Amino acid sequence: MNYIGLNSPPVREERLGTGIAFGGTTCELRCAQKEGCINRANRAFSQTQGCQFTLSLGMLNSLRNAVTIMHGPIGCGACSIGSVGTSQTFKRLRDPNAEGLVWLNTNLNETDVIAGGENKLREAIRYADREFRPEVICVPISCVPSLIGDDVDSVLAEMQKETAATLIPIHCAGFKTKAMATAYDDVYHGVLRHLVEKPDRREDLVPDDLRDLRQKYQDSRTVNLLNVGSMSRQDETELERLLKAIDLNVRWLPCYSDAEDFRQALSSALNVSICGTHDDYFIEHLKTLYGIPFVIDVMPIGRRNTARWLLQIAEHFDLQDRAQQVIDVEDRELDAAFEQFRPALKDKRVFLGGGEIRVVATAEILQDLGMKVIGFKGHHYDRFAEPLFDSLEDVDDVLFDVATQQPFEQINLVRRLKPDLYIGHTGGGNLSAKQGLPLLPLFGPTYNYMGYSGAFDVARRIRRVLANGQFNKKIAQHCPLPYRASWYEKDPFHYIKDRQEPRGPAPHPAGD
Amino acid sequence: MNKFVDRPRFSCALGGALFTLRALTRAIPIIHASAGCGYNLYTAGNAGAGYLGGGYCGGTGWSSSNVVEREVVFGGSDRLSEQIRSTLELIDGDLFVVVTGCMVEMIGDDIGSVLDEFANEDVPVIAVSTPSFKGNSCDGYDMLLGGLFSDYVRRDAEKRTDTVNLLGLVPGQDAFYKGNLTEIRRLLERLGLRVNTFFGEGETLENLKNASEASLNIVLSDVYGVGAAGVFEKTHGTPYISLPLPVGAVQTSQFLREAADALNLPRDAVERVIKDEEARYYDYLERIADIYNDVDLQRYAVVVGDLNYAPAVSRFVADELGWLPRLAVVTDDLDEGEIRRVEKRFTGWESDVSPLVRFDTDTSSVRRYLQEAWRPGNNERYYDSLSPLFLIGSVFERDLAASLGVPLLTVSFPVTNRIVLNQSYAGYKGGLGLTSDLLSTLIAGR
Repeated sequence: MNYIGLNSPPVREERLGTGIAFGGTTCELRCAQKEGCINRANRAFSQTQGCQFTLSLGMLNSLRNAVTIMHGPIGCGACSIGSVGTSQTFKRLRDPNAEGLVWLNTNLNETDVIAGGENKLREAIRYADREFRPEVICVPISCVPSLIGDDVDSVLAEMQKETAATLIPIHCAGFKTKAMATAYDDVYHGVLRHLVEKPDRREDLVPDDLRDLRQKYQDSRTVNLLNVGSMSRQDETELERLLKAIDLNVRWLPCYSDAEDFRQALSSALNVSICGTHDDYFIEHLKTLYGIPFVIDVMPIGRRNTARWLLQIAEHFDLQDRAQQVIDVEDRELDAAFEQFRPALKDKRVFLGGGEIRVVATAEILQDLGMKVIGFKGHHYDRFAEPLFDSLEDVDDVLFDVATQQPFEQINLVRRLKPDLYIGHTGGGNLSAKQGLPLLPLFGPTYNYMGYSGAFDVARRIRRVLANGQFNKKIAQHCPLPYRASWYEKDPFHYIKDRQEPRGPAPHPAGD
Repeated sequence: MNKFVDRPRFSCALGGALFTLRALTRAIPIIHASAGCGYNLYTAGNAGAGYLGGGYCGGTGWSSSNVVEREVVFGGSDRLSEQIRSTLELIDGDLFVVVTGCMVEMIGDDIGSVLDEFANEDVPVIAVSTPSFKGNSCDGYDMLLGGLFSDYVRRDAEKRTDTVNLLGLVPGQDAFYKGNLTEIRRLLERLGLRVNTFFGEGETLENLKNASEASLNIVLSDVYGVGAAGVFEKTHGTPYISLPLPVGAVQTSQFLREAADALNLPRDAVERVIKDEEARYYDYLERIADIYNDVDLQRYAVVVGDLNYAPAVSRFVADELGWLPRLAVVTDDLDEGEIRRVEKRFTGWESDVSPLVRFDTDTSSVRRYLQEAWRPGNNERYYDSLSPLFLIGSVFERDLAASLGVPLLTVSFPVTNRIVLNQSYAGYKGGLGLTSDLLSTLIAGR
């Protein structure tokens, strides 16, 4: 893969055949994906969702010693308000002296729409550089400047001569794609072009062979673990613990990193993805450009996934035996710890909604506990969820709704399937709660979901939320859902249009 | 002000319009914009307004046409038509309002002709243009209400001398809008008036539809709602007065007198209500005469907030708590005329205290003005510092408060560190609430 010469990466519908609208069984979906015919479907009714601009901010707003300049009208990036407190807290878990979240908005108005917004951007960059003295200034470019043709790359190249901060354009106009995960490619594209540097960029004044050898050895045992914004520090600690148990060093990228972490990115032996949807663009490029191998496979949620993830890393260093020893011990202990939850959780029915990687990975914990997975809703679908199905049993006939948010479909499905628990992505609680079900967030940056300790934590939290569901039950008794009764009589996938029929198995019979 | 903004304390016109619709019972927005606009603005408004939430059909539930490159190139009218039709099929509402984002405004979709297709529906479908590049969330409130006043409010209503409408508190921008409106309505009702606030407890779209019965619009702001009140006057012939948001007894009594005068209500009846309300108010305030004087709860104050809260709260702490506000920063994007109107609210106070007043949208500026408002220490042995100080602002002041080592109460948008339900800072109740919140912070360690 090499798109590094382009100003911006291709959208995922094109690059990966990513689809955002599908309804059918898991088996049908996987088959349709393999045949490459899920990326054109759409909806005749849609609800608002994330865009690549807002999702980019999930990464950009986490960077330490950095300022984000939203280049667009005043509303773009306003969602940062929602993370102003948490962002600071989480940064300080990595560096106690970290600053809080700082962003500017170039405030493009009607005149700028005609005359262009480049001057306002220059002023904003100057101000950010002098006022905050950050190492990095990231400029995500929204719909309006993209459409009017602001040449942000040239402005930044020219401004780079007068700023101390490294300037990074992020091309992430929301209207370019509905596959919002393209955001990750946009951010990595900017990082690859502007922050990643060859490790030999610094010359030592006094040569020291022994130190160089030590460093080389360290690097040969160091892996870059690529975290995601939805992870917690506890998740990181757990995964770090597992890698340290097989004697490897860990460097965390990209979330909550600073510029220096990226500059060091090439001093490592292996790049390891935690979420397939997040990282392929970055690690494929690091391989093409710098020859660093990578692992991109399963997300380490659930013990089978965690073991597989760990073994793949170990294999690269020829440490499988040690990894297997760790896994055996962990397995035994978790098995014993799970016993206390099994009676209460056995056969409980669960519907999962959110990022397609996480929903399928999290299902493993549920099956492990004897629970029944009865439905999935994934933000999008492409090949990166595939490996995760290896850890699941009997899910071929389970329904899979591919929908970025779109809670109206979820509400219809939940009403039909009648789960005991809904595990879902943030946003939409105001609707989900009105079905009276207990809810567990699919992720949370203050909770542990990953590795062995994460599996235990998810188990005990499920038991906790099932122990008293009064809050949502009372909401449901008093607050109606907004959908007409006729909606519940319709097929949940009624509004999906422009489907391509796979050549393989028969299409979903419930389709309209 | 035509420049960038350092951490804006507002979102865009579409955001203001969406949260205004969020606050109207059973009014359903249909967003005609890029896919991310609605969710982005919901995330800002939800957290910023003390977790107002998506409500009946909002947040990720908002109907949105999610236009992409294809519509930007070929036009989005067909997509909008399809989205309106499917929204009417799916969602149970009493009024459907198309609100627009930047992309569709730039490509120039003819929304009027799309709406013609829906002229004969059982429920009204109207459209209001709300692109982000034409204003911020407070402007969006005015655009949206202006649209509703023109296209939804009855034109044939007979005026009633006892009916007024309240404008000027922007839902979602004012985290306490509902509590505030409820309190002001309660007081006006005590004067024998019928009051539409549109967004208050128990109100429905009927209050909005029949708003043209009102003989006066009272705008609780020097800027917000003034544009919409102008549209109302033009369309329905109802005049308006603009009075500042009243916080506490001094301002609320003044507000009631001015409102009553504008409506030609008999003065003695008004005075009776004021006397009764003030007696109840001071019955509570009397409680803290002990602790206030026992431990010296007077403070210097710095107030940072929007044009409704900054003057009202500064005056409240000066005229009623006997505090010394030394700096007030008004954080809206205003023109010269608007600045002059708001500046006046910092004068003529009973306490004769007057803070340094600055108008600035940038969050980092507050620290600089503080140097201007109070001479910084020069490491001298006897330095009269600005201490003890209380900071009243938004969550953006948290770092400043921490670096100064002073307490902070968040009142103005964004208020992400509080859960706001029925609290009010307006009226007599609001004065008591604000006193309780401020002083509780000071005695939290006791």
